[in-house]
This record gives sequence, C-alpha cells and structure tokens, in this order.
Amino acid sequence: MNKITVNAPENFRNRELSWVEFDRRVLSEAKDERNPLFERLKFLSITASNLDEFFMIRVASLKDMENAGVKKRDIAGMTPKEQLKALGRTTHELVAEQYDTYGVLTGELKKAGYNIVRDTEGLNKKQCEFVDRFFADYVYPVLTPMAVDSSRPFPLIRNKSLNIGALVRSRTGDKDEIEFVTVQVPSVLPRLVEIPGEKSGRTMLLLESIIERNIDRLFLNYEILSVAMFRIMRNADLEIDEEEAADLLKEIEKQIKKRQWGEAIRLEVEKGIDDRLLGILKSELMIKKEEIYEIDGPLDLTFLMKLYGVEGAEEYKAKGHKPNPVPELPEGGDIFASIRKGDILMHHPYQSFEPVVRFVKSASVDPDVLAIKQTLYRVSGNSPIIAALAEAAENGKQVTVLVELKARFDEENNIVWARKLEQAGCHVIYGLVGLKTHSKITLVVRMEEDGIRRYVHLGTGNYNDSTAKIYTDVGLFTCKETYGEDATALFNMLSGYSEPATWNRLSVAPLWLKDKFLYLIGREKEHAQAGRPAHIIAKMNSLCDPDIITALYEASMAGVKIELIVRGICSLKVGIPGISENISVRSIVGDYLEHSRIFYFENNKKPEYYCGSADWMPRNLERRVEILFPVEDEALRKKLKHILDTELKDTVKAHILTDDGRYVKHVVRGKDKGINSQLQFWKEADSEGRSLISKKIDNEVMVTRRFTPEEHK
Amino acid sequence: MAKLFAAIDVGSYELNLGIYEFGQDKMRIIDNVKYRLDLGTDSYSKGKLPADKIEELCRILNEFYRIMRGYRVSDYKAYGTSAIRETRNTRILLDQIEQRTGIHVDVLSNSEQRFLDYKSVASKGREFTQTIEKSTAIVDIGGGSIQLSLFAKDKLDVTQNMKLGVLRLQERLTELDVTPARYDELLEEMIGSQLAVFEKLYLRGRSIDNLIIVDDYISPITWSRTKDSDTPGFVTAERFMAFFTRIREMDPVEFCRRYGIAPENMSQVYIAATLIRSVVSVMSAKTIWAPGVTLSDGIAYEYGERKKLIVIDHDFEGDIIACSRSISRRYMGDDKREQTLENICMAIFDSMKKVTGLSKRDRLLLRIATILHDCGKYISLYNVAQSSYDIIMATEIIGLSETEREIVAGVVKYNHVYMDYDIERTAISGRGEEVYMRIAKLAAILRIANGLDKSQKQKFNAIKASLKDDTLVITVRTNKDITLEKGMFEKRADFFEEIFCVRPVIKQIAKI
Repeated sequence: MNKITVNAPENFRNRELSWVEFDRRVLSEAKDERNPLFERLKFLSITASNLDEFFMIRVASLKDMENAGVKKRDIAGMTPKEQLKALGRTTHELVAEQYDTYGVLTGELKKAGYNIVRDTEGLNKKQCEFVDRFFADYVYPVLTPMAVDSSRPFPLIRNKSLNIGALVRSRTGDKDEIEFVTVQVPSVLPRLVEIPGEKSGRTMLLLESIIERNIDRLFLNYEILSVAMFRIMRNADLEIDEEEAADLLKEIEKQIKKRQWGEAIRLEVEKGIDDRLLGILKSELMIKKEEIYEIDGPLDLTFLMKLYGVEGAEEYKAKGHKPNPVPELPEGGDIFASIRKGDILMHHPYQSFEPVVRFVKSASVDPDVLAIKQTLYRVSGNSPIIAALAEAAENGKQVTVLVELKARFDEENNIVWARKLEQAGCHVIYGLVGLKTHSKITLVVRMEEDGIRRYVHLGTGNYNDSTAKIYTDVGLFTCKETYGEDATALFNMLSGYSEPATWNRLSVAPLWLKDKFLYLIGREKEHAQAGRPAHIIAKMNSLCDPDIITALYEASMAGVKIELIVRGICSLKVGIPGISENISVRSIVGDYLEHSRIFYFENNKKPEYYCGSADWMPRNLERRVEILFPVEDEALRKKLKHILDTELKDTVKAHILTDDGRYVKHVVRGKDKGINSQLQFWKEADSEGRSLISKKIDNEVMVTRRFTPEEHK
Repeated sequence: MAKLFAAIDVGSYELNLGIYEFGQDKMRIIDNVKYRLDLGTDSYSKGKLPADKIEELCRILNEFYRIMRGYRVSDYKAYGTSAIRETRNTRILLDQIEQRTGIHVDVLSNSEQRFLDYKSVASKGREFTQTIEKSTAIVDIGGGSIQLSLFAKDKLDVTQNMKLGVLRLQERLTELDVTPARYDELLEEMIGSQLAVFEKLYLRGRSIDNLIIVDDYISPITWSRTKDSDTPGFVTAERFMAFFTRIREMDPVEFCRRYGIAPENMSQVYIAATLIRSVVSVMSAKTIWAPGVTLSDGIAYEYGERKKLIVIDHDFEGDIIACSRSISRRYMGDDKREQTLENICMAIFDSMKKVTGLSKRDRLLLRIATILHDCGKYISLYNVAQSSYDIIMATEIIGLSETEREIVAGVVKYNHVYMDYDIERTAISGRGEEVYMRIAKLAAILRIANGLDKSQKQKFNAIKASLKDDTLVITVRTNKDITLEKGMFEKRADFFEEIFCVRPVIKQIAKI
C-alpha cells in the first residue's frame, strides 16, 4: 500500500470530535457506580468546565474560520463548517448525557443526605423565611436588574455568566407591552446556599432559585410573566488559537478585526423557556438555532466542584493520598550529593514534588551555586519556587527565568510574578516570538572542588506544586555533563543567542524534535522489516500530528507492535485493515490527570526510553519549545517500563479505542477488582515510603538504645 | 580549585563568548554563547560601523559581561577579528567599547587569528597529535579569506592565505549575477584558479592523508552527523563527496530541514562545501576531520598555555620556526648559515638576559630574524636590507602580529644598515618607542652574530657567551683564522655597547 492511501482522510479522526469523546470518557467516570459519589460529582463538574474551555478556544476558532470563508479541510477531510455541524450534534448529545447523569447523581445525593433543591415551591415555612432573609441581606444588595426598552438597549451579557431573563408587563403603563428584563446571578456569592433542612441531612438551594423566588422584588411595578435562566459563551478570545496552521492565521486575523466584540457562540437556556423569551435572546444575541442548548437542570455544572469541597462528606470521597518521600532524596539531606550518586527518577504525585522545590531552594542559599536557570509555564499562586528564585537573585546568583506569558488563561497571573522576579534582580525572559515555551527544565550551576558541575531537572509537568498533587508526571534529576551542556545551550537559545551546532542528549522542538520522533518510529519500521524485534509504547496526552500518525501506520504495516496510551485527543484510527491492525490505543481517565509523556522504542533489543514535555500534536512539535530527554540508567528505565506496563494492564480506568472509534472499558466480572494503575502506583509508593519511615524509626531507636542508658531503680 | 576564564571573539558576523574551566592541567568548555551580528558588511564596505551596530555590539558585550560575572571568571581575553581590524577608526571604536562595557578588546592580525584557530584544533589533544602524525593539511574557512596550511613531520610547514572566503565568494557571485546553472561552474573556476597556484608552489605532487577543516558551515553538520560514532568529527573523503552530491542534487528546502540549516545560510554552506571539495580533490585527501572548534577555544588554549594551566605536548614555537624556515627556503636561504647564526644569537641573547629586558617572545622574534636575515638577497645583492624588509613585510608569518612582523623586518633591515636615531624616520615609525627599542636591541645582537660569521664559513659553531660586569665575553673554540671576523666585529661591537652598555669581546681558544 502506498503512502497516499495511508494519508487518506478517512484514516484520521477529526481532533475536535475526538476531544468530545475524551470528555465523554470523563463523564463515564461520573457515571461509574464503582466511584465514590462525590468523586462522580467532581468528574461531572470537570466535564462541564472542559466543555466551556473547548467552546471558548476550539469552537470559537472554527467559527472564525467559517466566518473567514476558510474551506481548508483538516486531516480527516472536514471543512470548518462540516466540523461545526458534526460538533453541534455530538456536543448536544454530550450535554444531554451530562444532565441525565446529573439527575442520577442528585438522586444518589439525596439518599446520602444531601438534598440539592432547585424548586422553592416545596420549601417549608421556616425554609422560606430563611431564603427570603438571605435574599434581602446578601443577594439583593449586589444585584443589578436591567430592563430593555426603546431607551435602554440590550445589555452586555458577560461571557460565561449565569443570568435570569424574564418577560414583564408594566402594572402602570401600557398593559399590552411586554418587556424583557434580566439580572446576572452574582458570581461573588456561593452558588449553593445551605438552608435549614429536615432533621437529618443537609439541604442546599441554588442561588438562582433564591433570586427567581424574589424576582418581583427587583421589578416592583411589573408583573412577571415568565422567568428562565440563561448563559452565553462568547468568542471573546482575542488571541487566535495557536493550533491553526500559520497560513490561515493572517486571514483569520483580518476577520477578527472585522468581528464585533465577543460574538455569542453558544446559548444555554433552561428547558421549558418561554418561546417569546427565547426569541428575544436569539435575535438580540444573533445566535443560530443549533447553537442553543436547552438544559434540563441547573445551568453551569461547575458548581459541583464547590459541593465536592463541603466538609463532612469524606465517606463519599476517594481515600486521600499523601505523596511519598523520594527514597533517593531523603528529607534534610544534601540534594546535590544525592544527585551526584546517580540519576534520580520521580513519579508524581505518588512521589512528592517537594524535592523539586527543595532543589531550587537549596540552590538559592548555597554559596557554591553560581547560577539557576528555569523555565516557568504555569506556576501556583504563592509559589515557593518563585520565592526561592527571588531569594537566589538577592543572594547574588545569576538567575535566569523564562516566563511563558502565553500560557492559556494564566497571562495576568504570570505577569504579576514575573515583575516580582525582575524586581528581585532575576533576568526574566518573556519567551520567544511566535513560540510558546512549554519545556520544563531547571539548571543549577555549581562551583565544586573539582570544577563546575551542572545539575539538571527535567520534567513532563509544570513547576507547579499544586497541580503536581493531581497530575501524574515524571521528573529526572541528573548531573551528567551531557545533559548539563545541553541545558546550558538551551537556556542560551531561549535567551536569544544562537542555537548550538549539536545537542548531546536533548531533542528540542520546534527544530529537531519531530524529526527525532519520525526517525525513532522509522527505525522500528526498519527493524520489523528486517525481522528484528520492534515495539513502540508511547504515552501522551494527545495524538493528532498527521506526519507522526502516518509514520505509525507505516510502522504498523511493517509489523511493529504499537501500544499507545493517549489520554485525550487521538486522531489515529485503530484496526484499519492493512494499515493499523498492529496498533492499540487506550486512554486512562482516573482520579489523577494522566499528564506524563513517556516513549519506549524496542530498537532490536536495545531499548531506548524518552520522556518529555511534548505531545504528538503539530502545535507541540512545530510551534512550541519542547524538550525530549532520554533516560539512560538501567534502574530508571525499569521504572519507566513498569509505569508503561502497569498502565497497559489497567482494567479499571482504561478505555480501549475500538475499530469503530468508540472507547470501551474492560468488563470486570465477579470478585475480580481488576487493575487500577493509579491505585497500584499509590500502593507501591506508599509501601516504599512506609519502609523509609520505618527505617528512620529503626535508626532513631538504635540511637536511643545506644545513648540513653536505662536507670535502675 | 578550578579557574574560570572567558574568551570573547568579536567576529565578522557573530559574537562569541566561551567560558572555560582550567583544572587538573586540563581545559574544559563550560558555556558557549553566540549571537549573530553582521559587523563585516559595514566594516568592509564603509570602513566604519554605524551607530546602531555599535549600540547592539555594546549591548551584547554588556550581556557577556553579566554572564562572565555570573560565572565569577577570574580573567578574560577579548579579540576583534577582520571586521574590527578593517575599520578605519579602530582605536576610537575600541575605546568606545571599553568605556561602555568595561571590556578591553584587542585586535588580531590575520596570522594571529589563524594561529589561534590552529591552536583551537590543537586543543583537541590526542586526536590532533595522532592526525598530524600523517601528512596533514588544515583549511580554515573564514568570511573574507581561507587559510591553507600544510604539515611536514608533525610541524606546520607552509601556510598561505587566499581571498576565497565564503562571504567574499558569495558577494562576487552576486555581483556577476549568474544564473543558477552557471553558478557551480563559476564558483569552481574561481576556487580552482587560486588552488592551482597553491598546488604548483607548495604541493608539487605531495599527497595529503588528512584534511582538517575549521569553519562555521560544514563542521557543525559533520559534527552532528558523526557525534555518536566512534570517531566523532571524522569522515572519509568518499562520504564527504557523497554529501556534496546530495547538497547539489537535493531540494534546498528539504536539505535545510534534514541537516538543520537555517535557509538563509544555505548558500554559504554550499560555497563552503564546494571549497572543501576542491581542496580534497587537489590534495587527494583520504580523511576529513572537522574538530568543531571555535576561535574562542584557541584564545582559551593560548591563555592556558601562557599561564601554564594546561599541559601542552605540541611545540607551537616550533611551528612558527618551521614556517619561517619554509619561507627562507623559498628565497634560497642557507640552512647551515642560518643555524650558525641562530646558535650565536641565542647564546648571546641568553647570556644577556639580565640586562636586555627582553622577553621569551623577543627570543622567538630574533630566531625568526636569523632565519630570514638575508632573504632579500634573492632579489638584490646590492640592496639586501630593503629587499629583506620588503619581503618580510609582504609575507605573512603565522602566529605573529603585525607589530611582531615589523619587528622581525626591522631587525633584519638594521642588521645590514645603521639605525637612525630619529624614531620617526625609521621605517617602523608609528609603532612607538617600545618597538623601536626592541628592534634596536635585537638588531644589535644579530649584528654582532652576523659579524662573527661574516665569512659565512661557520667558524663559530661552538661558542659560549658570558656576561662579566660590563663585558660580554664570547668564547670561540676554533683553530681557524678569525681575523676577518675580528675586524668586522669592532664596529658592530660599538653599536652593541651603545645599546646595552656592555662591551662584547672575542676570546679564541684554539683546540689542541
């Protein structure tokens, strides 16, 4: 079969539709009765916030293309218009599924003693009094009711805000004239208000229901004819999504300038909304029928995350885990001395992220440290890393920090702490023009007895101590000269200096990384063709680069066994006769967000292992600064293989991609609990951590016996 | 504790900062920061750098200064090469740079620069020593010119500068406005005509096993393609030729992608490849070695050599001497006579060490002057002084600065004629009193040595010189008649005494 056939659009899945499939997999966790109730709420909430982001970025981007008249087809052969049409269908289905699930979950909640109330009509007298007092004391002062008439134009409805729209008739003026009024549900107040309930259990009322019950107090001289919640999503993102091909960007840019600010691209309304009310919204917001979502339940399910946070529901949540200490990096030990003993691989969150923070902190006060260089993409507020970097600069060390301002949704946050670093004397670089810096690397240069030694941390996750507790990532500490040289060269490159002629170990996107992957995949193909062992295992977040997928198909056709663990988007299709029969794809959606990128290439029994910051997506391989690094030490390679093998054996949280494009879970029968890879990793790390603690206790006991003689009475 | 040193190269189109660590008798590069800045175009065409270029240059040098401070380097050396050298207002420019950045930049002559490039290759240690054991050539490709050097018996023998620099060739081709089809043909013609002269003068059927390439175009590609092999940087001539065929036949865009070349550099890479191919063909070289070194490596290596921070097996002075001998041979110099003269000069120089104030470097210049002392005879027996001076001034001597070359030329000239007391009126005017005095002192030594061997019969092969108070006793063990020498000696001794306040006397001890 020739390349043209392999490349054919029918062999690829549209990435947006594949993304919806991913959100559906998250939703399936909300449906899964084996999960604790509050965890299910959390998953449902995540599907809602995911979908919001998807609309704001991806759907908005497709709309821009459609408006610009772009007819260019994606890898699956779909024009923007066709994609939007297909997406409309599938997202409507997804939303319906979300609310079906919501219905099931509120029933379960009620059984568990948590009563979520939307309808205030069933409240008892005491509850009604409480609600009305709450409205008067807390809600009323922050409301801004707005009416629309000939002198008052339709107000600006804020993106993602929850609103109550109503049709009213003046009690004093023209009785035939029906007016539209609206009020935003204030985001400064909690969405769920706990009200005095029955004897047992807790009752919670949605804020919008409290306002709705009292809406006549907002429009005193009006008769309220009809009320309904609504929420809109706007194409307010002024930056064009980087994922679009560069040749399209110019055209779209022109369109954006022409575009009215914040065109509405999605309208959610309460099911049963008055047709007249809907009609007004539709025409004022200039929204098409297919962009309207009639919701059978409360709009904006992200409030469920707040419910997850209520105290006292521990029995309905998954058992919490505390990240374990890293055995090679004992607390209080000299972190540099530990790294000198050999490379160290950490698996977060099962192992603590603390050593990474300690690494920077130790460097900041170590008199032998000359320089600290780090890339920062998304960091937590009050980041201890930022504080340590600032301290290092104050201590006279050369501190270079590359701050990526383009990290989506984090721009403002990033600017604040970048200024802080500058004030402390750090050399702050604000990324490279046209390239988002996604690589995660820290370099510490130290002057030691025998000369300069460089310590490098390379990771698959951001330097964010908060997300490190919920994202699964791997990180490597090394002081090998080859890595140190590359890290130095990388920071020079990021500082605007020329790139080095060659790299020792690192492969860096956008210049060299894609070729490296294509080479590695191609090499497996050659091995297979020559009858030598060939096998690829690759774990990542998303896979949609057409060149990589084509290379994988060709490798599969040559007989390479390819096992992919792709959490999110996957444009590759499995089981295409003659093309991808040797490829399997699984997606693990669990309590922790699978985030690490690990790559295994069998290479004729001389396996190579790589980790990195890049997914197999065009944006990662072509428009970002990303790093791929090899893991060379045998013990660490075994660890990586164990991670991959365990995830390949997962029968609880893994969804297997089928030939027809669906994802299905293993059916676990009888008493068999199956294998949950994330739980398995916890067990292993906990047991390693426990043995460390017991060793520590043993040592302390030993010390006690030796130095504290017993007294004879 | 290791010592850190910074080397800065203000090049024609790139600024380069290398941070080096010296420890345990070894040198190691820690950091290498490069920044593209085209200074050459303005300097070559207008003789001055425009304000915005100076601004940018100072900005980057300040950045370099910050990096150097970060590493807590204990010393640095900054050199400007042809772009700085060819400005008309060099002094003003260098002063501006120093005032604005605190970095003192010295200017390298072409021969010094090429010698440092050569030292950068030598900094590779074992690979270098092993390579030059066989017959070897170095082609050092720059923007304006290339330097072709040949080794004989692990010593530099011949080195020649040719105006075949990559940027220069590119400019000429642009001027000619040729079609792509004729591009190859013209390029090869331009290169071939100059290489043919080199071949005729120096190769004369000599075959070369190894070709070392020093450049910024082909070396990085070679290095990246071979770095994981057992012999990184080394390729066979066949492999290089295959690469050359690819570069010629492949789609340029695809070529750039595959070899990681910025498309704007493609034409330079092509010219450099053509140059190397031509050199390989002329020399019938079998192996090509691209050590992937920079001028900064050479600067650091020389610093380590000077400060005795590294152990160096190779005798670089020996290279300069060997090249000087090669120049002398070109002008029919007499090896034996030169050797006798050198022996006498060195004996006198060493015995006078305490009173002359001359350095080890001056000793080397004197040796070169003895080797080239009458090269002018090739042109005119009547006007040896001026002819010798002119030959030396027109000949590049690898490893010497322009001032040093002038000193050698001056010493040779004033060996034959009297020196003028008026510094301004001497041919080496403009170089200052210090240079005048160095010439005078070295010439005084050469003059008495020359007097001692006036008959050119090497009667004074075995001499001893010792300084006793204000007398330099030159003891000659010979049974030969030295009347002529003694007669010539007196006049020359006057000049010597005037310079050093030491009277040289000859003491003959006849062998029994």
